Amino acid sequence: MKNMSTEEGNRNSALQSLEETGQCVTSTSQHAGNSREPSTVRPQEQNSRQNNLQRIQQRKQQMLNLPQMKKILKIATYSACKVDDCKCIGWKNSQVITKSSKNDTQQPVINFFDPCKSCKHVLENHVSHLTNQSEEEINKLLCMVIDADNIFLGLQKEEDPDTKKVYFYLYKLLRKCIQSMTKPTIEGPLGQPPFERPSIAKAVMNFVAYKYGHLPQRDMQAMCDMAKMFLHCLNHWNFDPLSARRGTISVEEAPAYKINHTRWLVFCHIPAFCDSLPHYDTSLVFGRTFVQAVFKPVSRQLLDKCHSERDKLAPEKRVIVLTHFPKFLSMLEAEIYSDNSPIWDSDFKQVPPTYLQSALESKANQGRRTGEFEKVTVPPNDKDNYTTINISPGMKKIHEKRSHSEGRSDVKRRKNEETFEDLSEETVAEIVATINDPNYMCGPDAVFPPNVPRDETAKIEESRKIIEFHVVGNSLTQPVSKQTMLWLIGLHNVFSHQLPRMPKEYISQLVFDPKHKTLALIKDGRPIGGICFRMFPTQGFTEIVFCAVTSQEQVKGYGTHLMNMLKDYHIKNNILHFLTFADEFAIGYFKKQGFSKDIKLPRSMYQGYIKDYEGATLMHCELNAKIVYTEFTAVIRKQKEIIKKLIHQRQQEIQKVHPGLTCFKEGVRGIPVESIPGIRETGWKSYTQTRTRGVAKGTQGPEPMEACLDITDSLYNALKNVLNSVKNHSTAWPFLKPVDKNEVPDYYDHIKYPMDLKTMSDRLKARYYVTRRLFIADMTRIFTNCRLYNSPDTEYYRCANALEKYFQTRMKEIGFWDK
Amino acid sequence: MPFTADAAATQIQERLKNLYHLVHEIETHRVRSEHNLNNIMKSYEKVTPEDKVSPYYQQKLKNLNAAIGDSQQEEEILRKALGKINEIRAIRNERRIQARNAGNKETIRRGALMKMVLSTAQTLPLYVGKTPGAKPPPLCGAIPAEPTYIAKMGDMVAALVKGSEEEDWILAEVVQFNPTTNKYEVDDIDEEQKDRHILSRRRVVPLPLMRANPETDPHALFPKGSIVMALYPQTTCFYKAVVNQSPTTATEEYEVLFEDANYASGYSPPLNVAQRYVISIKESKKNKSQC
Repeated sequence: MKNMSTEEGNRNSALQSLEETGQCVTSTSQHAGNSREPSTVRPQEQNSRQNNLQRIQQRKQQMLNLPQMKKILKIATYSACKVDDCKCIGWKNSQVITKSSKNDTQQPVINFFDPCKSCKHVLENHVSHLTNQSEEEINKLLCMVIDADNIFLGLQKEEDPDTKKVYFYLYKLLRKCIQSMTKPTIEGPLGQPPFERPSIAKAVMNFVAYKYGHLPQRDMQAMCDMAKMFLHCLNHWNFDPLSARRGTISVEEAPAYKINHTRWLVFCHIPAFCDSLPHYDTSLVFGRTFVQAVFKPVSRQLLDKCHSERDKLAPEKRVIVLTHFPKFLSMLEAEIYSDNSPIWDSDFKQVPPTYLQSALESKANQGRRTGEFEKVTVPPNDKDNYTTINISPGMKKIHEKRSHSEGRSDVKRRKNEETFEDLSEETVAEIVATINDPNYMCGPDAVFPPNVPRDETAKIEESRKIIEFHVVGNSLTQPVSKQTMLWLIGLHNVFSHQLPRMPKEYISQLVFDPKHKTLALIKDGRPIGGICFRMFPTQGFTEIVFCAVTSQEQVKGYGTHLMNMLKDYHIKNNILHFLTFADEFAIGYFKKQGFSKDIKLPRSMYQGYIKDYEGATLMHCELNAKIVYTEFTAVIRKQKEIIKKLIHQRQQEIQKVHPGLTCFKEGVRGIPVESIPGIRETGWKSYTQTRTRGVAKGTQGPEPMEACLDITDSLYNALKNVLNSVKNHSTAWPFLKPVDKNEVPDYYDHIKYPMDLKTMSDRLKARYYVTRRLFIADMTRIFTNCRLYNSPDTEYYRCANALEKYFQTRMKEIGFWDK
Repeated sequence: MPFTADAAATQIQERLKNLYHLVHEIETHRVRSEHNLNNIMKSYEKVTPEDKVSPYYQQKLKNLNAAIGDSQQEEEILRKALGKINEIRAIRNERRIQARNAGNKETIRRGALMKMVLSTAQTLPLYVGKTPGAKPPPLCGAIPAEPTYIAKMGDMVAALVKGSEEEDWILAEVVQFNPTTNKYEVDDIDEEQKDRHILSRRRVVPLPLMRANPETDPHALFPKGSIVMALYPQTTCFYKAVVNQSPTTATEEYEVLFEDANYASGYSPPLNVAQRYVISIKESKKNKSQC
C-alpha cells in the first residue's frame, strides 16, 4: 500500500487520518537529513509526508536563524565565481569537513579568503554580490538553496525517467534563479493553472449540492465533510507517473495524463515542500480529465485505507467513514465519469448553502497561501481562458499571434454573448406573454393547427384529471391496498391483451413480483396502459419489462407521456439508464422515446440482471438528469417561439432594402459574404470561413476573392471528374441529354425542372457550380425527376437508383458528401 | 378551385364571420319563436275550457299563424348556418386534397390522423328532414347508397384490400373512379402505408355522408344486435362487430362489441364508434370461411 502512511499516533479523526494518505514527499528531505543531520533522524520514523514537510520547515527555520556568515556560505555553494572567465558555478569547501556525532556540520574556520575547491578562487569571489543584500533577500535565497538541495536529492532518488526530468528542470530553474537573484516562475508549454474549469473542488461541491442539496443541514454538513475529506486527500495524494499506470491508462489518454502529471509535479507536488516555488492545490487547478484519470485508483485505495484504519477512528467518525463514505464515493464516481453530469457544467447554478460556500472560499484562500499567486481565483469568463495543451513551445506563439489578430472579433463575440445574457427578464416576460396570448396564434395557423407534440393531449387530460398516473407494485411484507391489487389485475389484463405472444402466466409472475413495479395509466378508475419495470439501483439501470396501452386508447400520446413520466420518476430516484428488450413492433416506439440499439452501458453492468429475450433487440436510453422529460417538448417549443420572436424583433429593427448586387454581371464569380451590403448589420458572423469553401482568411481585403477563385478551380476539376465518370457509367444512358418533347409529349407537363447530364456539363463549363451543393442539387434533380415520371418497375427507375448510388459513392470518395 | 393556404384561411375566416352573425340571428329568432309559442300556449289554455272558439280568439289564433312563418324563418337560418359549416368543411377538405396532390405532404403524425378521423365523424352534417315524415336519403346513417352510386373524389370509403395475410377493410379515400374499367382508385388513409389501390366497386363501400338523428329518424340507424363493420377505435381498419347499443341522440356514438378472439367471450368490451364508421357488412367469401 504505497500511498498509505501507517503512521501510529494520535490520529483520532477520519479527516486527519486521511490527510496522511498522500505518500511522503519522495522522502527527499529525509534523504537530505540523512546526509547532513544523521542525529536528527529517528529510525522509527516512517515516510510521513506531514512530518517531512514539518521537518523541512523546521530545518529552514534553523537555517534562517544561523549567523549571516553561515547563510552566505550556504548560498555560495550555488553562486558562480565572479572572476572573469572563471566557469566555476558554485563554491566548494576545500577543507575536510569534520563531523561529530552530536553537532551539526563543523565549519569553524571558513572565511572570505578560503579558496574554492574547484576553481581555487577565494570565497569572496563567489559571494561578492551577496554582501550588501538585505537580510530578507538573503533569507529568500537561502530558502531557494535548501529547496534546490532537496530537489537535487529527490532527483537522485527518483526512478521514473519522466519525473526525473521534471526534478532536473526545477533544479536548474532554482539554480538559475539563485544566481540571478530572481523569483522562480514556471513558464512554457505546461501552461498556467488553473488548467481546467470547473475545478475538481468546484465539481465536487456541485456534486454535493446536486445530490444532497435537499437534505437537512446536519446531513448536508456530513456530506460536505466527506467532500472536504476527499478533496483534502486529493490535494495530498501522490499520483503515479505514467510509467506506473501503463496498464490502467489507455493509449489515447496517455499523453494527456503525462501532461497533467507533469503539471501536478511542477505546480502542486514539488512546491508543497519547496515553498520558493508557487504552489497550487491539486483540486483547484485540475478538472475533469485529471480526476477521471485518477479517481478509480484513488477511491479504491482510500476505501482500503478507511478499512484498515477503522480501529483508529473515533466511533462517531467510524460510521461516516465506513458506511457513508463508500456510497459517497461511488455516487461521485458515477457523476465524474458521466458525460453529461451537471456537476461539470460551468454554469452550475444550484447555489450551495452558505456554510458550503464558506468552505469553498476557505479552500480558495488556502490555495493562495504564499500571497503572491493570485491565479487561483477564477476569471469570470473562463471559457476563453482554457489553457490549451501545447506540447511544442512554438505552437503557443502561433496561438498568441492568431488570438491577437482575431482579438477584435473575439471581443465582438464576447460582447454579443453579453448582450444575449443581458436579455432582460422583462423582455423575456414580454415575449412569453405575447406567445401565450391566444390572439397571437391568429392567422392561417389557427385554422390549420400545426402538428402538436405527441404527448400534448395526454398532458391536457392529465391536468384535467381525466387520466392519472400511479406507480404501483405488489409486496409480500407489507399490506397492499385493494385499489393497488385491482389496478395490478387491470394492468395484467392490458399487458396480456396487448402482448399476445407473452404467456399470461409469465406476465402474472412479473406484474405481481414485489421487485417489479408498474407505472399505471388510469382512466375512469381503470388502468388503460402502463409500463412494468424493474429497478436495479446497484447496477444503475432499470429494465423495462412490459409496456402497453390498450388498443382503443392508442395513438393518443399516452405512450409518450407514460415514458416521460417514467423518466422523471427515475431521475428522482437517481437511476439514469433504461434497458429493454424490444420486439420488432416495439422498436419504433422505443426509438421515438429516445432509445437506441447502441448500448452505452458496459455489458458487465446488466448481464445476469436483465431478462434476456430471444429474437428481441436490446435497446438503451440514457437519461439526462437536467431535463424534466414531461416538460421537454413544451420547453423546446417555448424556446423556439422566443427565438422566432427575437428574430422577428431584430428584423423589424434592421429592415432595409439594399439594391441588388451588380458585380456578377460584370464577371465577378464570387464575393466574400461579408461584403454583401447590409449583411453585417444583421449580426452575421463569418463562422463558415473554414468550411467547404476553405476560405481561410475571411476577414481581410482582397485575398478572399483570389481564394474563392482558386477554390473554384480545384472544385471545378473535382466536379468535372465526377461528372465524366457518371456520364460513362453503364446506367447513365437515359440521362445523357434532355428529354425530347416529340418523343415524350407529356414529359414537360409533369416535370417542371428538367435536368440532364449534358446541361450539367454546360453549366460546369460555364463555371456555374461555385459550390458542390449546386452540383449535387442538379444531379439529384435528374434522379428525382426520373423517379417522379416513371414507375418503379421501369428500367429508367432502376437506372436512376443505380446511378445515384454510384454518384454518391464517387462524391464520398473525394470527401464531397456530408450526409 | 385551387387556392393557397392563405386564401383558404381568409375564406374560412369569412365564413366564420358569417356564422357568427347567423348565430346571433338565430338567437333573436329563437327568442321570437319562444314568445310565439308562449302566446299559443296561453291562447290554447284559454280556449279549451269553453269548447267553443269565440270569434275574438279565432282572430287571435289566425294572427298566431304568423308564428309559423317566423319559425320557418328560424329553420331557414339554422340551415344556412349549417350550410356555412359545411362549406368550411368542404374548403378544408379541398385544401387537404390539394396539399396532398401537390406532393408536398407533411406526413401527418398518427395521433393527428386519428384526431382528424374522429373530428370529421363528429362534424359530419346532421340530416334534418324538410317535413316530419320525410324519408332520409341514401348515405344518411345506416341507409346504404343506391346500387348505382359512385363515390366522389375525396370521399371516405371502406375498401377491401389485400393485406399481408388476409383481406382487410381499410379506411380509404377515393382518388377517382374509372367508368370504363368500373374500378375505383383509392388511397389508404394511413399515410405510413402510402398505398394506392385499384379496386372493383364491389370492394368499395362509401361511408355515410350524413348523420341520422335518432330522435327523428330512428329507422336510419342500425338496431341493437345488428352485425356491422365498424372502425376499431384508434385504428384505420373495419372489423366485424355487433351493435350493443344504438345512439339515442344526434351526437351519441354506437356502442359495439368487436369480434376478438383475444377475449374469452370472443368479443371485445363495449367500444364507442361514430355513426360515420359503422356500415352494413359485406361478407367476402374468404371472411365467411373464417367466421
